[in-house]
Amino acid sequence: MKLPGKALVLVTAIALFATASPAAEIRIGVAEALTGPVAKYGVPIRNGFALAAEEINAKGGIKGNKIELIIEDEQGKKEEAINVFKKFIFKDRTLAIFGPTLSNSAFAADPIANAQKTIVFGTSNTAEGITAIGPYVFRNSIAEADILPKVVGVAKKKLGLKKVAILYGNDDSFTKSGYDVFKRVVEQEKLQVLTTETFAKGDIDFSAQLTKIKNLNPDAIICSALVEEAANIILQARKLGMPERIRFIGGNGFNSAKLMEIAGKAAEGSISGSPWFLDDPSAKNQEFVRTYTAKFSIPPDQFAAQAYDALYIMAEGIKAAKLSGNLEKDRTALRNALAKVKNFKGVGGLFSFNENRDAAQKGRVLIIKKGKFSLYAE
Amino acid sequence: MGEFLASTWYTYNTLLYTIFVNGMLALSIYLTLACGQLSLGNAAFMGMGAYTAAILTMKAGAPFGIALIAGGALPALVALIIGIPTLRLSGVYLAMATLGFGEVVRVAFLNMSITGGSLGLNGVPAKTEFWHLLLVMGILIYFFVKLKSSRFGRALEAINEDETAASVMGIRTTLFKVWAFAAGAFIAGVAGGLNAHFTFFVSPREYGFEFAVDILTFAILGGTQTFWGPIVGSTILTLLPELLRFMGPYRLALNGLILLFVVIYLPNGIVSRDTFKKKADRG
Amino acid sequence: MEPETAFSAIGEDLICIGRVTVFLQQFANALALGSVYALFAIGFTLIFGVLEIITLAHGTIFMVGAFAGLLAVTKLHLGLGPAILTAMLAAGTLGWVIDLVAVRPLRKRSFHHLAPMIATIGCATFITSIAQGLFGAEAYRFPFDFVPATSYTLGPVQLTLLQLIIIAISFAFMVIIIVLLHKTKWGKAVRAVAENRRTAALLGIPVDRVYQITSFTAGALGGAAGILTGINFNTIHAFMGGPMLHRGIAVVILGGMGDIRGALLGGLILGFSEIMSVAYISSDFRDAVSFGLLFLILLLKPAGIFGRTGERKV
Repeated sequence: MKLPGKALVLVTAIALFATASPAAEIRIGVAEALTGPVAKYGVPIRNGFALAAEEINAKGGIKGNKIELIIEDEQGKKEEAINVFKKFIFKDRTLAIFGPTLSNSAFAADPIANAQKTIVFGTSNTAEGITAIGPYVFRNSIAEADILPKVVGVAKKKLGLKKVAILYGNDDSFTKSGYDVFKRVVEQEKLQVLTTETFAKGDIDFSAQLTKIKNLNPDAIICSALVEEAANIILQARKLGMPERIRFIGGNGFNSAKLMEIAGKAAEGSISGSPWFLDDPSAKNQEFVRTYTAKFSIPPDQFAAQAYDALYIMAEGIKAAKLSGNLEKDRTALRNALAKVKNFKGVGGLFSFNENRDAAQKGRVLIIKKGKFSLYAE
Repeated sequence: MGEFLASTWYTYNTLLYTIFVNGMLALSIYLTLACGQLSLGNAAFMGMGAYTAAILTMKAGAPFGIALIAGGALPALVALIIGIPTLRLSGVYLAMATLGFGEVVRVAFLNMSITGGSLGLNGVPAKTEFWHLLLVMGILIYFFVKLKSSRFGRALEAINEDETAASVMGIRTTLFKVWAFAAGAFIAGVAGGLNAHFTFFVSPREYGFEFAVDILTFAILGGTQTFWGPIVGSTILTLLPELLRFMGPYRLALNGLILLFVVIYLPNGIVSRDTFKKKADRG
Repeated sequence: MEPETAFSAIGEDLICIGRVTVFLQQFANALALGSVYALFAIGFTLIFGVLEIITLAHGTIFMVGAFAGLLAVTKLHLGLGPAILTAMLAAGTLGWVIDLVAVRPLRKRSFHHLAPMIATIGCATFITSIAQGLFGAEAYRFPFDFVPATSYTLGPVQLTLLQLIIIAISFAFMVIIIVLLHKTKWGKAVRAVAENRRTAALLGIPVDRVYQITSFTAGALGGAAGILTGINFNTIHAFMGGPMLHRGIAVVILGGMGDIRGALLGGLILGFSEIMSVAYISSDFRDAVSFGLLFLILLLKPAGIFGRTGERKV
């Protein structure tokens, strides 16, 4: 009579296993710069993912499957990004990968994921040519080329701009890409460029460039810079006695609360563009900003918002894909499902992938008023 | 088992490749250190090699071997040009010259169109195979073993011991120092070419001052009494950040502490006469 | 004279005046930036002159000075003077600790002459990582109007109160250090040790104490540079020391390694070449032009501007 007892245990175990099996964890690798100077972008990105994963899992996961994020530091270095990607692909056997933080690292690491038919989803890579690496490369970071023409167009119309000066960081792929777009747009808009000045990453003194620009008396300064440099540039310009009528126009790089925190009142009237902004009054965004700030005791920036949306976009893809348990097949199935994500409603507004797996998202033109970002034009 | 080995290999081969490349870089600076000179330009030489080789394979379709040799030859030529006026004099000349040179090279990469400016070159073909690295490292080790007993090697040693005495003895110190510097630049350039063809990307950012200091650290930590020192030093310092991943945000802190303690306890490097003496005493 | 030509003559005069105005403003900009470089380099060169090591932790000390000052202001609500003193004390203590932990153990034994430099890299990596753990990687600034944003308009030139303070402090510290070195008993001891450590020890000078005091003083000067840079340029973060260290090395070599006047002059030269190359050549080539110029000067003055020839190799 002992046998049936054992059999019962076995059956129960099988039953348990069977019910447990659909609730498997969906492993996703997150490769971001968490130490080193690039961590100021990588950490908010990780936070955005962590918050979204927590929310999705709290609501029961995706079809009952919880998301398990495996987070690794890649220090903003290309060799480390490759090492982490390989660990995800071959060792942790993740379904997909988010990251890396910099476009430079993406150019080194993404080809490896693409060759192994594993999705790599960038949330902060804005350089041209990222998604051209291959069919498994996606991103939701909106390219500067999609927003800046609108920003310059709106500013020109509303402020009656005729002559501008350009200032950009020439040793950074993000700010250089921004400059390339600005240069094109300024030609299209037939604005006169009085001078084009550059600076290097890590510079703290911009007085020489700004003195030169001030003397040429432009209507506006077009500035492709990351937030800390942008804030310092604006602040130093006003200290040098540049009148407030000379506006600063920038791209994604301006879109952080740090701009006002560092530049203070000097930032007033600065114009930029982005799909997402901190003070967007939509209920979805306000909820995101509130929970994020409560959890990490610092308001989110654009990097955090894009990462947050990215995980939800990935979840849409996972929901739509038919996963079999065979990792190689699932990676391809997910790739096909993800490419079809359309009209996802995120904190940055409606989102779809275009045919190149780039973001097709509407950028909005923003202006800083009373220390807050507000809508200048839809 | 086979599958496990394969996945382990694919997970860690880039790390292994990086260990070899960093080993070559450490050897490249060892040559200059061996004649008592401090170079802060080996990162820039590596960059020149990386760009030259990548441009040749990408845009001219050159065979990989030719691209690598050209990637070594260009920095070596430039090293001759910088070395001849600066190495004539002793002191900190080379340090300053190479510090300035590093900046000039960085600015040149940023402003030329063939190098892709700040966006760098992406889509460098995957050409580097493990046997390439083994072969180059093998040649280097053979070269350094032979060097020790050669006239050239003895001359470098004499210059390092006492430059004035060496020149009194009739050693053409400047000539030897320039050759050592240029040979180091050649090795760094080849290492850069190899690196570019397994990381698929080169950009001006990677070859700056900080990496020059890293290369110097490889060599000094390992010890510069024999050429094995730099190889050991670079291997340890390349592996360490990966081994310390479990430390999370503080892995660099521990990395720094380990570096500090190794230097304090083995101030002549990990591979040095006193290390072996201690071991022998204990044994 | 035809009215038209008269008008164009006035126009030319205006352009000429405009050029002079811009030049004077750029001159002021260069003086302010050069003073920061100089202040950083004075401590750096002091360590080299006395301890004969290149301390690559000086950038980290600079960063710690800025953060110590920031905390003194935001948490303890100190004013400018006490905040600078706090920054100097904190950075000076750190300089002393680094000497104790990383350099002193090496002094007692024979070592590769670059070993202490590598030990200071270990310290720098450790401290930077801890700072990042505590403060994150993002930038902080001092409260608005901590130093009144008063601008002085000297003729056509705008200088802020803070820039004047920085220029004054840099020159004052240089004078103080030189006076201390030449007029006090301690200064003489320091110079004796710098000249020849063994002879100094035979003469009964407490060499180890001299090293400790020098390390503290150099750290304090680095900390002063850190807080003043932090207030003036509003970007305090864990990695702010990196670019400064890079330039600091160039300045110290240029000025003559170990020479205080050289550090000041070298800092000013770098400041001027950076600003003027942007103003009159091209901002694209700033770093190549200024580092190239430093190298050319060195070709003319082999041991640096004030350096003596025949010094030991690095």
